[in-house]
Amino acid sequence: MSVILREEVIQRLGEIGEADILVGIPSFNNADSIGHVVRAVQAGVAKYFPDKKAILINSDGGSGDGTREVVERVIIDDFQPLLINQRQDLLSKIVTPYHGIAGKGSAFRTVFQIAKELNVKACAVVDSDLRSITPEWIELLIRPVLERNFDFVAPYYLRHKYDGTITNSIVYPVTRALYGKRIRQPIGGDFGFSGKLAEFYLTRDVWDTDVARFGIDIWMTTTAVANNFKVCQSFLGAKIHSPKEPSSDLSAMLMQVVSALFNLMEEYPGQWKEVKSTSPVPLFGFQFSVGLEPVKVNIERMINMFKLGMTELGDLWKVILSTESLSGLQETAKTEPFSFGDDLWARVIYDYALAWHGKVMKGEHMLKTLTPLYLGKVASLVIEMADTTAGKVEERIEALCIAFEKLKPYLIDKWE
Amino acid sequence: MGRVFVEQFKEFLGKIAGFLPNLLTSLVLFVAGLLIAWLIKSVIVRLAAFLKMDAVSERTGIVQVLQKGGIKEPVSRLAGRLIYWVVLISFIIMGLDALQMPAVENLLGTFLLYLPNVIVACAIIVSGYLLGNFLGRAVLIGAVNAGLPIAGLLGKFVKFTVFIMAVTMSLELLGIGKDTVIIGFAILFGGVVLALSIAFGLGGKDAAKDYIDRMLREKKEEDDIKHI
Ligand SMILES: Nc1nc2c(ncn2[C@@H]2O[C@H](COP(=O)(O)OP(=O)(O)OP(=O)(O)O)[C@@H](O)[C@H]2O)c(=O)[nH]1
Ligand SMILES: [Mg+2]
Repeated sequence: MSVILREEVIQRLGEIGEADILVGIPSFNNADSIGHVVRAVQAGVAKYFPDKKAILINSDGGSGDGTREVVERVIIDDFQPLLINQRQDLLSKIVTPYHGIAGKGSAFRTVFQIAKELNVKACAVVDSDLRSITPEWIELLIRPVLERNFDFVAPYYLRHKYDGTITNSIVYPVTRALYGKRIRQPIGGDFGFSGKLAEFYLTRDVWDTDVARFGIDIWMTTTAVANNFKVCQSFLGAKIHSPKEPSSDLSAMLMQVVSALFNLMEEYPGQWKEVKSTSPVPLFGFQFSVGLEPVKVNIERMINMFKLGMTELGDLWKVILSTESLSGLQETAKTEPFSFGDDLWARVIYDYALAWHGKVMKGEHMLKTLTPLYLGKVASLVIEMADTTAGKVEERIEALCIAFEKLKPYLIDKWE
Repeated sequence: MGRVFVEQFKEFLGKIAGFLPNLLTSLVLFVAGLLIAWLIKSVIVRLAAFLKMDAVSERTGIVQVLQKGGIKEPVSRLAGRLIYWVVLISFIIMGLDALQMPAVENLLGTFLLYLPNVIVACAIIVSGYLLGNFLGRAVLIGAVNAGLPIAGLLGKFVKFTVFIMAVTMSLELLGIGKDTVIIGFAILFGGVVLALSIAFGLGGKDAAKDYIDRMLREKKEEDDIKHI
């Protein structure tokens, strides 16, 4: 058996034998929110998969706030108010600390391993800080795998037009242009996948890298797509989660996401170079709209950050960016009202990818010089989208994606 | 009188005759040194090629560090050259020693005593330069991302401070006027700080005012975009 599971877990698995469905919840000090998530999972399984054998795994990072106790304790003992007919056997729960370096990725590895041991057909993973998860999420993440033969289900959330800006301006356009699949939320964090894909994830040798720490979301999505697993999306409605602690600063966050993206480019050049066009990905679920809380933005501050970068980081950008990008940026700084074009943005991001590939500078330094440029692009998008509706916003993002697709030959050409 | 002259001449000849073998040894050592150094160098270069040393150092980032320091040569060639000179200089020193001339020996003695210090001092200066560049850049980027208008100045300040400290350390190591160096450093450092203050006072006054204004305004207008 495996080396990454604890003795008592292995014993429990022996008693359980096999299961159909597995839901994994990674956690680290989420005592105040994880109870809701566990209840949603339990109700979802009871309501939508009453005749399936299901198991819940909480893969914990050593919480000191009683997270594990909450998971052990929480059960729905009266299903009547939920209009669910009580099942025979209750959902089995396994609460275990994970093995390896601290991070969501290591937590998932334990989930994958248990999925393999129990020979499950379908898995889902959901964050423990979710406030807006409902029992339907479990159905939407599991059923495409169980009944439609999909291997990977990406989440599709309703988000405010100013939310998820790294996803909208970098991760979505780049993954889509590179691997050809229009997955709208590649780093959503909540996924469904087949037992087969879980086993495939386990065979990859990434568990001592940044993937184990923070890059797991984009890694799961890209690994599924680049290895030709069957992928789809499910409409989950709004994603509301506990606010992050304010200490997480933008440039570090941007560096983590972008480095994960670029590292995957190094992994699959053979695949993405061959992709010449993109195709839509099936979207399951009943779509609706919700009123989202307004988001405050400070455009002036973002533009000032961009301009500060222009005066101070020129020497470093000269090493990273192409001359076209550099002169484009000079022009951008002069625009009134401020406007950062899509073509220029795509070129800037591809230049960074090439610079990462060529290792022209210490990676951390390089990616941290991207922050002012990113803020410039966000400011420009916010200005453009100020009075637009959600539908129009999607059209706007679509146009941005097209710019990345059109410029892809440039990236392929310069990649060596 | 003639006899005296002859005696002296004889003595001189004798000395030369005594010296000649030493000179010869020394010359032989020098030529041998040239040959052996060249030989070792070509072996090293070939070995480096066999071990793919250049590719390895490219991957490990050694090349980038050197390039940032203005050295563009391949690492294999650099290593070859370094070893060539070390071998050659060792032979030259042996050769000079073989001359057995007291004056040369004294000079050599002091030089040899001093040599390790010189090497260490050079190493300190080079690392100080590289470290200063590295830290200066980190500070510059961090300051820009924090929105500090004086980011450039901060970066340069860190870069030069580290470098100046390295120079001071190495000068002290060489024993060049211990106190003078410290006083000199203090003056230089004070000068830099003074210059910076003046620069701030004159040029940066508006920028600082701007910045403080903006900070105060932004405290109220913090945005809550979720980037991920
Ligand atoms: N086991 C474990 N879980 C973690 C760790 N870090 C984060 N998680 C879990 O991973 C999930 C997502 O973490 P968050 O901190 O919410 O990350 P986020 O930036 O909000 O990510 P998104 O929700 O995708 O935007 C939560 O369920 C966390 O409990 C960790 O070090 N160990
Ligand atoms: Mg979260």
